[in-house]
Amino acid sequence: MNGANNFSEINDKIIESTIEIFTGMVMMEISVAGEPLVKLGPLKNSITGMVGLAGVQKGVLAVHFPKQLALDVTGSFLGMEVTDIDADVQDAIGEIANMLGGNLKTILSDRGKDIQLSLPSTIYGEEYAFSSQAEVDQVILPFQAPSGLFYVEIELER
Amino acid sequence: MVFIDITAEPAEQDGTTILEYNLASLIGLAGDLKGILAIQCPGAVAMGITEAMLGMEVSELDGDVKDAIGEIANMVAGGLKEGMLPAGKKIELAIPTTVIGTRVRTSGLSGASRLLIPFTCPLGRFGIELRYILS
Repeated sequence: MNGANNFSEINDKIIESTIEIFTGMVMMEISVAGEPLVKLGPLKNSITGMVGLAGVQKGVLAVHFPKQLALDVTGSFLGMEVTDIDADVQDAIGEIANMLGGNLKTILSDRGKDIQLSLPSTIYGEEYAFSSQAEVDQVILPFQAPSGLFYVEIELER
Repeated sequence: MVFIDITAEPAEQDGTTILEYNLASLIGLAGDLKGILAIQCPGAVAMGITEAMLGMEVSELDGDVKDAIGEIANMVAGGLKEGMLPAGKKIELAIPTTVIGTRVRTSGLSGASRLLIPFTCPLGRFGIELRYILS
């Protein structure tokens, strides 16, 4: 099954909530940057926030930011200046993953009752590839922010 | 199951030690214990474990390595889930995600507890890290 096609309804709702979170909480204007992708190459000098979904639907929601954009997002979100990937940036990026995960949970199940979220976690480094185990459908949504592109990735167990 | 002898070093609670690794398999935990469990391996250790587990030669950090270490993360998290049941704590597991790269670091949310257990095996050291909030 081709992940991207089966995700269209989820995609629309996640795009909507990503834009809402950025406009209303991060205070940053963003827009959709093209069609959803099914695969992402290695991430360079980036930070990823991720949160696991457990219960009736297992999966992962991740959001991948290049470093400079992550600093800008944190600065705007927390109203402070940040110059490196520190605990504030990790918390801010983890919290964005957490908010998106909360929305995904609600989209996937009625009021999100039978799906639970794990704690958010962040991954950062010079270069890394991010992937789940084989039996998942995945989609990657690209967004354009003022200082770069970022991606929201959803992986759901079949 | 993997057929490698390993020795646990003393566990570190809320410490700051960071193990060097090229591959980490992470699995989210939800329910009464919310958190994330990670198996962190240098490349050589991840490949050696995969060779021993699958009985095949491995020369790079490929899909087989990702699957093998991801499966170990799944089994360890499953063991934690079982182990917490007698205490009346229910844990649900997410799916394992693997990160492969250079100079990669993972971190949890500030406020969560952190447990790190380093292990030694003939191939080198690897670590199991649990970041969690127990309710």
